[in-house]
Amino acid sequence: MDWWIEPFTLGFEQRALIGGALAGLMSSIVGTWLVLRGMSFFGDAFVHGVVPGIAAAVVLEINPVIGAAVAALVMVLLIEVVNRQTSLTEDTGIGLLFVGMLALGVVIISRLSTFSGSLTTILFGDALGVTTNDLWAQGILALAIIIVTTALYRPLLALSFNRDKAELLGMRPKATHAALLILIAAAVIGSFQSVGTLLVFGLLVGPPAAAALLARTVPRMMLISAGIALVSVWLGLTLSYHLGTAGSATMALMPIIIFFLVLTIVRLRLVFAKRTAVERAEYV
Amino acid sequence: MSDLHSHHDHSGAAEAVLAEELVLGHNSHIAVHASSFFIPAGKVTTVIGPNGSGKSTLLHAIAGLISPLSGSLRVLDAQPQTRREHISYVLQNTTVPVGTPITVAETVMMGRYPGLGLMRRPSKLDRARVSEAMEKLRITDLAKRHLGELSGGQRQRVYVAQGIAQDHDLLLLDEPLTGLDIGSAQTIDEIIHQEPEGGCTVILTTHDLDEARASDFVVLLAGRVIAAGPPAAVLTNEHLLTAYGLGGLHRSEDAEPTTDHHHHDHSDHDHQHGH
Repeated sequence: MDWWIEPFTLGFEQRALIGGALAGLMSSIVGTWLVLRGMSFFGDAFVHGVVPGIAAAVVLEINPVIGAAVAALVMVLLIEVVNRQTSLTEDTGIGLLFVGMLALGVVIISRLSTFSGSLTTILFGDALGVTTNDLWAQGILALAIIIVTTALYRPLLALSFNRDKAELLGMRPKATHAALLILIAAAVIGSFQSVGTLLVFGLLVGPPAAAALLARTVPRMMLISAGIALVSVWLGLTLSYHLGTAGSATMALMPIIIFFLVLTIVRLRLVFAKRTAVERAEYV
Repeated sequence: MSDLHSHHDHSGAAEAVLAEELVLGHNSHIAVHASSFFIPAGKVTTVIGPNGSGKSTLLHAIAGLISPLSGSLRVLDAQPQTRREHISYVLQNTTVPVGTPITVAETVMMGRYPGLGLMRRPSKLDRARVSEAMEKLRITDLAKRHLGELSGGQRQRVYVAQGIAQDHDLLLLDEPLTGLDIGSAQTIDEIIHQEPEGGCTVILTTHDLDEARASDFVVLLAGRVIAAGPPAAVLTNEHLLTAYGLGGLHRSEDAEPTTDHHHHDHSDHDHQHGH
């Protein structure tokens, strides 16, 4: 038992745990809608899209959260421009911005040799370097995300059901979609300092995807997803402590492993259920 | 029961839909060329035509989801977009993803969202309308089931229940009977023909000539409205030949009215817009 709690006697490990847990909570709630709307690729692009903003903030010595927010805004606007001004499909616009923003981030960082370590920090986070102030900011964002998603439950549900239906029911799909983009941005920005931009994606998609295999309703999907995220964060930090591996990456790996475990169990149960049914039928 | 439906102020209007030189499409692609026609209020109207003839486009326009490229379209005596709270539209069932974790009861309750808005809790009336709709469609025992676990026919019944749980004077259904098991098709067909009893107008699209013959009014589409009127007047060999290019498909000799649960009172239909 000591093995499981030993890491968290250290202050920075405690902060890493709380930071990871808050990141997991935000990501689970927003990620549930992301997965249901089939926007995983957008989410992937988004977490890379904020890199140049953070890099520029590091260079200009301003708050990286502001840099990330500006980059997120630029990214969403440019994707919309590609969408509206060309007949190309949405994923082309997302792909263009994905590569463009990531490359720009690397270009900005490479300009300053003293910050050579920063790219790794931005992409993979620094779970063990999270400060108490970071946690407060993260906590406030998490609360805001919970309040907004609760208020927008019906529009979001109608939108993931069908865009036209949402429109017909007066649930304003365009505004809802825009709100969802802001929520994704908030979750990414709120989480990247503890888990890194690349690994936020692991928490954004991994736990909700695993939860989707088990849940019958959206609120339950969020709850299961949050549970999986919390277990992932704790398990990841514990393993990283004992194995001496990178904290954020070990955390981000967990939900993906859990997803495939859940998938295997669900499938096996289905096979057994069928076999039992067949055997029963044969004995009748 | 009909007093549960909130609005009936249009049951007195002569037409539910009035189109003049109406052109529909997306950008440069024209789906329905200039057509003028009306659809009577308080009756069952089928829109029939080959694939790609513009049936869904027409329903989308009536529901106010798309605007006409030119010409005018009036629904319940006004612009379609302004009539949204009087219109319930059951979309073609292929347009809804089945992966969303949502129960049958919650899906039907979505029909009450226009009145509930973001936060209001469902009232007794809302719950009554939902359970009434589920009973009519025989899905009460499926209430707690996941949408993805249902058969195609069961799912279509859920979507129709969602449609009738919504307040409406005009019910639109896009191919509600295509590809269903007989039981589900019969259940939905009964609902369609019951709706006018409460003063409601029903417009549905179909591929089925028999379904069109059983309705009160028919709009024959093939890139434009070929004919609109009572089934006997519309589903003639000549019209079907124009629309499909091959005559009446089968039984072309009895394109005349079959038996008669049809209403023939449209021929002397007058054009008053009075209330």
